[in-house]
Amino acid sequence: MPVTAETIIQSLASGLLMGLLYGLIAVGLALIFGLMDVVNFAHGEFLMIAMYATFFLFVFFAIDPLLAAPLVAAALFVFGAVVYLLIVRFAVRAKANAGMVQIFSTFGLAIVMRGLAQYFFTPDYRSVTHSWLGGKTVSVAGIFLPVPQLVGALVAIAAFGALYLFINRTDFGRALEATREDAGAVALVGIDKNKVFALGWGLGAALVGLSGAVMAIFFYIYPDVGASFALIAYVTVALGGFGSVFGAFAGGIIVGLVEATTALLLPPSLKAVGIYAVYLLVVFIRPRGLFGSM
Amino acid sequence: MNITRRNVLLGATAAAALGPVAARAQTSEIVIGVIYPFSGASAQMGVDAQKSFETALDIINKNHDFDLPLAKGEGLPGLGGAKIRLVFADHQADPQKGRAETERLITQEKVCAVIGTYQSSVAVTVSQICERYQIPFISADNSSPSLHKRGLKFYFRAAPHDEMFSAAMFNFFDAMKKKGAKIDTLSLFHEDTIFGTDSANAQLKLAADRGYKVISDIKYRSNSPSLSAEVQQLKTANADVLMPSSYTTDGILLVKTMAELGYKPNAIVAQNAGFSEKALYDAVGDNLEGVISRGSFSLDLAAKRPMVGKINAMFKEKSGKDFNDLTSRQFMGLLVMAEAINRAKSTDGEKIRDALVATDIPGEQTIMPWKRVKFDEMGQNNDADPVLLQYIGGKFVTIFPPQAAIAEAVWPMK
Amino acid sequence: MDTSFARSRRRDLIVAFCLAAIAAVVPLFVKDVYVQNIMVLTLMWGALSQSWNILSGYCGQISLGHAMYFGIGAYTTALLFTKFGVLPWFGMLGGGIISAVLAMALGYPCFRLRGHYFVIATIVIAEIVLLLFHNWDWAGAAMGIDIPVRGDSWLKFQFTRSKLPYFYFALALACVAWFVTWWLEDSKWGYWWRAVKDNPDAAESLGVVVFNSKMGAAAVSAFLVAVGGSFYGQFVSYIDPESVMGFQFSLLMALPAVLGGIGTLWGPLLGAVILIPLTELTRSFIGGSGRGVDLIVYGGLIIAISLARPQGLVGLFSPRRKEAAR
Repeated sequence: MPVTAETIIQSLASGLLMGLLYGLIAVGLALIFGLMDVVNFAHGEFLMIAMYATFFLFVFFAIDPLLAAPLVAAALFVFGAVVYLLIVRFAVRAKANAGMVQIFSTFGLAIVMRGLAQYFFTPDYRSVTHSWLGGKTVSVAGIFLPVPQLVGALVAIAAFGALYLFINRTDFGRALEATREDAGAVALVGIDKNKVFALGWGLGAALVGLSGAVMAIFFYIYPDVGASFALIAYVTVALGGFGSVFGAFAGGIIVGLVEATTALLLPPSLKAVGIYAVYLLVVFIRPRGLFGSM
Repeated sequence: MNITRRNVLLGATAAAALGPVAARAQTSEIVIGVIYPFSGASAQMGVDAQKSFETALDIINKNHDFDLPLAKGEGLPGLGGAKIRLVFADHQADPQKGRAETERLITQEKVCAVIGTYQSSVAVTVSQICERYQIPFISADNSSPSLHKRGLKFYFRAAPHDEMFSAAMFNFFDAMKKKGAKIDTLSLFHEDTIFGTDSANAQLKLAADRGYKVISDIKYRSNSPSLSAEVQQLKTANADVLMPSSYTTDGILLVKTMAELGYKPNAIVAQNAGFSEKALYDAVGDNLEGVISRGSFSLDLAAKRPMVGKINAMFKEKSGKDFNDLTSRQFMGLLVMAEAINRAKSTDGEKIRDALVATDIPGEQTIMPWKRVKFDEMGQNNDADPVLLQYIGGKFVTIFPPQAAIAEAVWPMK
Repeated sequence: MDTSFARSRRRDLIVAFCLAAIAAVVPLFVKDVYVQNIMVLTLMWGALSQSWNILSGYCGQISLGHAMYFGIGAYTTALLFTKFGVLPWFGMLGGGIISAVLAMALGYPCFRLRGHYFVIATIVIAEIVLLLFHNWDWAGAAMGIDIPVRGDSWLKFQFTRSKLPYFYFALALACVAWFVTWWLEDSKWGYWWRAVKDNPDAAESLGVVVFNSKMGAAAVSAFLVAVGGSFYGQFVSYIDPESVMGFQFSLLMALPAVLGGIGTLWGPLLGAVILIPLTELTRSFIGGSGRGVDLIVYGGLIIAISLARPQGLVGLFSPRRKEAAR
């Protein structure tokens, strides 16, 4: 396999774009964890639901995925809040083995969601066949940048920027921060912890919704699609440091670049090994990830 | 025998929830086990397979005027008009579950034959269990060449395996070269499970034998979130022919990524799987004009054999899809098995096996472009000639071998 | 307090003995191979979950990568047998030792990680090993290893139709895993682990010894799981990377303990007795529809039990044990 300069640049460019998307997929996870130390093991299935939502908006209402993105994000916001109120609220309240209970209740949710998707949507593979961006690509000096991923990367950067401002500049953002610092004290000042958590889950899910809408442009959709992304999302978040929104952003970029580089050096079937090895290397040196605070 | 009867009783108690199990002992009914993935990532394959088997069942059990074994008249005349009943079981693509379900089918449901399995790894354990219980197994749609070489007495495969499919591709290359096409270098692109590995091994061997140069051999992880790096390598290599062995999901992503990275290969010759699935063409058909896939079925046959079109219509009514490479092989699997049971005039495993060994169905009495169905001593049908199909103008046309072809290959693809 | 503790331990032992004795005669009455198959799987998963529980329940180091040890056990046995003709019994031992050593080698850097960082490290390490096996041609890569079965033989530990030998092996494994747990509960390791769980400050003062005891727990846990994997390979007589090392196996080891009661003596077995027949029966009798109903039932049950009884179902049987579990 000849490795030319062009191959390397192209690989890194693709890796960077994909990495920003990984970051966007993962940030909801980081946000929720930062807020209440809960890892949502149904995160991949949230992504799957978002992709189906985008698909059906396209099929039934001919809404382009790009326009659908805010709608899907809003729908997922509601979904996330409902999941918190119906399941997670009780999981964190568990008196024994709270950690285990939240892992396995969200894991059970993942299985149910897959089953429901199979029941209602059939296990067939779907795709958004025509969209404004689908299949389009720009070429700069022989380097190809697919428009869907490019837009996805821009959406990711914008989302991270907005999230940063949101957390630091708004009342709700400050309430989130305060609740995460000390939930007990917050209750004393009259902030309803449950409300904040529900909104946090909604926000986290909305971010997955956004990434799902972008993913739907260029990825296939079926009930198990989340599984391909779930582990990468967990590694991304842990690599950046649990709870750190900026960490998820940086983690995503690193994962994307490492994946692309590994595929150049090793047989592509081993490319995930590079991501995993980098994760281990980082946490062995910095047990809390790159930007983890706790 | 004694044990068997006790099994029936206990099996019946254990399966009491099932409902109408009492009727199963009657001879007016022949029970055949069908084992497929009905949940998990490949559940759709099981769902499609079920429709195909039900179509075959309809033809066997009801009176149809087709020149197929058992189509005329109802049920199996050899067994006094007994009807066939199918019991479907879910193996979830797990070899252990495949084996457990096969045992359940044999001991509780009292099936006299088993058909399966889509995944080759599951076929390994299912065929082992059938061997142990001396129940014939038809591997309807598994294409791994290693399966029939394990010295099993009860293993049968009417359809071609990957070495035969790949040989057809290389025969085609040889023929195209004679006509002046430039085919010297190949890129292999295959997934990392048993299907892709087996297929690539066969292709590597054939390429070496016939003097083609494989300039990139890319093995990728199935269901990867991204194939950019892989496609980039294919693009850099830019071989004369790209030969993918991919399931539907990866096939869709491959084609989309190729378009995004501006890679237009000269020709694509695919080892079916994803490349014969409707979902793939629904998703990315526009980019696939001129793609060539191997197959064992061709709807073009309907011109020569009108019943093929009618049976396809029956299947389409149930499934909303045309027969493809997989579903057509599943259909034939049940037909071949039923034909043997009819000649055996018995539901005894040994007798059905003997009948299968003696099977000799002429190609005209199938829906396939095969010469005939006749098994060798390993249970493989070597007369199942594969065809190559090219996707032109939104449908597949047969381009190879010459006796089945209805059009010339478009080469290069665009 | 000591005496009541000692008394309850003696009672546990007697109950265990009675249960094992009852279990041992069940297959004499239940001859249906499908039901026997479920019993074998139940005992095996019970044993595996019990082994997993030693590290993850008692020591609190939640591993979701134990499928790796399971696979290593299966692969060591199958490779030694098919390539060199080494009898599975030695392969079983070999796989166990390799896994135990590996567990300690990995425990050294990993035990410094906390919470989810540790969990994800275990997942990721198991994934790396899975990928390596997937690409290791000598070990069959994706094609897996088909273990030739030529008649019944205790020496080669293979039986064509009979499930009884497998049943008794799985029963023995479950008994061993249970007994090791029972013994550890009252050992000084068990005492330290309880102390550390109750009081993080105690962890500081006990630092080094606790670290070493965790390494010990990891080794014991990995050894038993590898023996289970080796058994599974013989039982199914075909292995490939996905079917012995996939992530779902790590989850399947954890689930019975979580549902039954994590860090309890009886939890894993109880969980397995409920969960495994349930998964098998739902698949067999409602899975054939292709509509995922089995998944909905299975997942829904996991949510319901983990929310309704966070301390595990074991608490239903003896309220006192809930205290002991703390």
